Amino acid sequence: MSTHSIDETTAPAPKQSVEGKGSAIHGVLIGLIPLGLLAGVVLIAVVITALARELAAGGGFYVQQQAALITLIVGLVLAIVVFAIACWRVLRQVALWQKAGVAVQAAATLWTLGFTALVIISPILLAILLPQHPAP
Amino acid sequence: MLTQTPSSSAPASVEDKSTRKGRIWRRVVAVLLTLSVLLMVGYSGVSFYIATQLQVGHRTPIYATPASLGLQYKDVTFPSRYDNLQIKGWFIPGILPNGQLTSQRTILIVHGIDNNRADPGAGLLNLSSDLAHQGFAILAFDLRGNGESPTAARSFGLYEQRDVLGAVDFLHSGPLPYPQLGRTHAIAAWGDSLGGATVILAAANEPAIKAIVSDSSFADILPRLERDIPAQGHVPAMFTPGGLIAAQMLYGVDYYNIRPASVIASIAPRPILLIHGANDNKDHTTTPPADMYVLAASALSAPNANVQTWMVPGATHVQAYHVEGQVYVDRIVAFYTAALGPDNSGS
Repeated sequence: MSTHSIDETTAPAPKQSVEGKGSAIHGVLIGLIPLGLLAGVVLIAVVITALARELAAGGGFYVQQQAALITLIVGLVLAIVVFAIACWRVLRQVALWQKAGVAVQAAATLWTLGFTALVIISPILLAILLPQHPAP
Repeated sequence: MLTQTPSSSAPASVEDKSTRKGRIWRRVVAVLLTLSVLLMVGYSGVSFYIATQLQVGHRTPIYATPASLGLQYKDVTFPSRYDNLQIKGWFIPGILPNGQLTSQRTILIVHGIDNNRADPGAGLLNLSSDLAHQGFAILAFDLRGNGESPTAARSFGLYEQRDVLGAVDFLHSGPLPYPQLGRTHAIAAWGDSLGGATVILAAANEPAIKAIVSDSSFADILPRLERDIPAQGHVPAMFTPGGLIAAQMLYGVDYYNIRPASVIASIAPRPILLIHGANDNKDHTTTPPADMYVLAASALSAPNANVQTWMVPGATHVQAYHVEGQVYVDRIVAFYTAALGPDNSGS
């Protein structure tokens, strides 16, 4: 968890009172934007892949395989690009907040982005941690 | 820890320190995000590769036809149920003791993985011949992605059962291979390994299949995949779930749901004969004999179940017919005759 104590010399008393729970929530919401965009684009990519698979079914297995694979890979690359741009913009916003002394909001956003990194690798963690029952 | 501490130094210096700390934390977060994305891209890449490898089987050429055993037969093509793949097979009429041909009772012969309707390893052509000489017509066909049937995703029975259901439709309403013999009155199925699992899945969905013999079937494909993907793909076990989920995304194959043991009870009261080689899976690459008991226990959970089991001593995977020979034929002929009744086309 982060702890914050705003320096009186850079954060005057009235501003500190403005920064609080609302700012933290706002920071979290801003921090969730890249994850939301990533999830949204991945979801759309999966749905379009399923659609492509069905549409290409008449062309035989290899056509279907190529259609599904290309659609999914393009979708996932697009998701990564969208995610990277969103992260870059959010981090730039955090820099501006830090410069302006809006420390609580900036810290909340950074923690949310850290949490986002954890969410992204969670499938790998689950794959390692969840038990498997291989045949003998 | 993300901490900004008060300082007693000059405001400008504090601001510099604060800015520097902020920059460091932004970089830490950026590095974490980059690492997580790179890890996930790597994991996804390996998972997609596994999914692709899982789907593509190895086609084995058909080495002989029923004519090589002196049998009459017709090449047939029929559409699989639901997805209309053109499945290739042979229809072999049964031979009555007086030499008359018959198609009253037909047995569907369903081969194992990466094989075909003739499968010399399991002796399918010889078994078909033995059954035909006992008066049973045979519809032996290549499952999708095998033999001469069209290429399709390998789904360990999930989609292959559509080929068995297509065979039932063909016998019910397709063009008659031997019009003079009329239409089949009773249908049963025999399958080994993947074919054994496939006939269980198909019979659970199709009451027209009056009896099944399942030789060397798995009870649940997931433990097999959790063993075989790391062993044969030379990847850590952590990639197995990713590969299976990628297969579902790319091909719509839900490997977590291919469990003959879950559906076998719904075949009751139709009779089931489960056969397994006691020496199966000695090399840890095929199906453990214990799977037969899992299937039997599930089948017997139905109140009106009619289940027989036969553990064949000394037999390895799908070798019970080779080991037992005529005893094997006599046993399954007695089973099918009890289930389907006698052929009375000659009377």
